[in-house]
Amino acid sequence: MEMTEKIEETAREIGARVRPQIEDARRRLSSLNSSATAYIQENPGKCVVGAIALGYLIGKLAGRRG
Amino acid sequence: METRAENPNGRSPADGTKKLGKQVEKVGHTAEQVWDRARDGFSDISDTLDLKGRVDRNPYGTVAAAIGIGYVLGGGLFTPLTGSLVRTGLRIGLRLAVLPLLKREVADIMESIAEDDGKGHVEAGRGQANKANANKGR
Repeated sequence: MEMTEKIEETAREIGARVRPQIEDARRRLSSLNSSATAYIQENPGKCVVGAIALGYLIGKLAGRRG
Repeated sequence: METRAENPNGRSPADGTKKLGKQVEKVGHTAEQVWDRARDGFSDISDTLDLKGRVDRNPYGTVAAAIGIGYVLGGGLFTPLTGSLVRTGLRIGLRLAVLPLLKREVADIMESIAEDDGKGHVEAGRGQANKANANKGR
């Protein structure tokens, strides 16, 4: 019984310690996602041309390796 | 006395200048037409692609599609990297598709085994009870 209680308590402690960090990471990811989406929506041409250039480079590198 | 110099073909320099001016005008007009057509064509293409709308609806998908187009243009289509990417994608997709099916099958099998086991226990219990009753009768 004591062992089970100890394990439960440790798990609860770890959860309490980790939860704020997870929440913080989630908030940061959410803000990053919204700013990236806003940037793409504000500059569609730039993003699409940049993405094509990036894909072209990756394709060239992959072709050279192959 | 002759004041104007004439060409051997009988045309004066003023005629040549006039003709050149007309040709320049014609070239300018043609260039304008070409520019107008190119602009119309470009606006038609951008209307067809609807880049702004596409980006508004699905920004990451549009960027991913653009990367894919660039990858193909860069000659990366028939390379080992494409092969490994496709293989990995198929593996992940198959796992995602097959795992729920497998889980359901395993759950069904376990359920049927548990039911059979339950029936077996009941039948075994009945058999033992019958034996006990027979012994009491003796």
